[in-house]
Amino acid sequence: MLEGVLFPRGVVEERESLNEYRARGGYGALEKALRELSPNQVLREVADSGLRGRGGAGFPTGQKWAFTAETSEQPHYVVLNGGEDEPGSKKDRLLMENLPHLVIEGVILASYAASASKAFLYINSAYQQATKSMADALVEAKGAGYWGERILERDFNLEILFTPAPPNYVAGEDTAALEVIEKKQPLPRQKPPYPATVGLFGKPTVVNNVETLANVPPIVARGAKWYRSIGTPGSPGTMIFSLGDEVSQPGIYELPFGTPLRFLIEACGGGIRGESAIKAILPGGPSSAFLPPDKMDVALDHDSLRAAGSSIGCGVVRLIGERACMVEETLRIAEFFAAESCGQCPACRMETNMIAAMLKKVQQGQGGTPILEQFRKVIEFNRGKGFCNLIHMPGPPVESALRLYRSDFEFHLANGHCPQG
Amino acid sequence: MKRICLVCQNVDCKNRGSEEIIRELQQRVSEKGLNDLEVRPYMCFGACQEGPNIVLYPEKSWYAGVKKEDLDEILAHVAGGPEVKRLDTIDSSLKDLIYQLLDSGVF
Repeated sequence: MLEGVLFPRGVVEERESLNEYRARGGYGALEKALRELSPNQVLREVADSGLRGRGGAGFPTGQKWAFTAETSEQPHYVVLNGGEDEPGSKKDRLLMENLPHLVIEGVILASYAASASKAFLYINSAYQQATKSMADALVEAKGAGYWGERILERDFNLEILFTPAPPNYVAGEDTAALEVIEKKQPLPRQKPPYPATVGLFGKPTVVNNVETLANVPPIVARGAKWYRSIGTPGSPGTMIFSLGDEVSQPGIYELPFGTPLRFLIEACGGGIRGESAIKAILPGGPSSAFLPPDKMDVALDHDSLRAAGSSIGCGVVRLIGERACMVEETLRIAEFFAAESCGQCPACRMETNMIAAMLKKVQQGQGGTPILEQFRKVIEFNRGKGFCNLIHMPGPPVESALRLYRSDFEFHLANGHCPQG
Repeated sequence: MKRICLVCQNVDCKNRGSEEIIRELQQRVSEKGLNDLEVRPYMCFGACQEGPNIVLYPEKSWYAGVKKEDLDEILAHVAGGPEVKRLDTIDSSLKDLIYQLLDSGVF
């Protein structure tokens, strides 16, 4: 078993208590930071480690922190974004349920680096067990003096508060999270300005995904150089990948970036269940482009997947078996985005509804092949028009499916049903 | 093929009164007995800043910024009168996109 950064002994199945966490060096990074390092030194260590956000966008974490740290406007805030609601993604839930102290230590270190005096734990309200685990850990950590007034007797105060996140997709968007913490509707804000400089209550705010912040304590404890010895130059460290029921051994697996996709699917997942062949791979959740099975040896990192025509997203890998119809698969994705669009940007409503309606036409065999040429135009027309990234999400799966599996679409148009009957 | 009058019902057009426009159009069309014309909602034409938008198909006439006072002129066009030129303000690239969608059967 490879040594993990987050799960040193493989994915843990049970909640780690404060004592268990401390027994393996937990909160050592915080003690080291407060005794030996300035906030800027902690920030530099994280920047040098090359840590990238694990919520989907892959933005360099140190750079994000620096935008906040360098803004003179006070106070600064940190938000733990645990609004996870990506289909098939349970990684943030698992981290908060089983390794709550690792996550909380990450929140405290981020607050120290960004000179924040208040942090918010924004957690999907459907995650009852994760919420309880984090709440219990917060009490334990306060009792041990890891947050509150004069942490570890140093001149650093931090208040940590909870905000339940509405259990829907858009509520996990960073600026929608800020709106909810401000007691408003979960609607994304127009950007720029970005939260790093104008965030919560208009103040500079670091918003990071749960898995991202869980990487911070090991980085501060063991150093950027050690972290960069894992993974690839462009994507250092590890990532948690989620495999669903279509493989023999579903679950979540922490692997170094750069691991071949085939290793995840075959060695970890035990291959596709009950079918002889894979027709398509969706390597980064529903907003990533499909890959054909001959890309099984692609390395799992940001650059390699981009070069292969797709993206790593937040590590939810789905397999589509040879008997599946790509029109049905694509329609399900399009209907998901149409339903999850919050509706405040007319262009996003138009695009997500239009694409779903067009795919429905194809599915039912209405209209001719010219309709297949229209998808690209609708996607192009709406590019860059929404407040958030949702408007860009249906494009990659739809365009890649049309390119790679066009015969499924043509069959549906001609016959009104799947090639498989 | 039946002629269609599509009235946008996305957020912006609705905010500018397109629900009332579609109700009014449906009523007047039935009063005038224009049986070959069907008035239908449309999800969006992508010209939100210039709504409410109405598209006549298969004529491919696009009227933007439509107000209740304009409906008589638009219906006169439907009945064989002249186009309402002053409401024809949408740029041709957007028109092409939407007309191609309609030609492909996306209603």
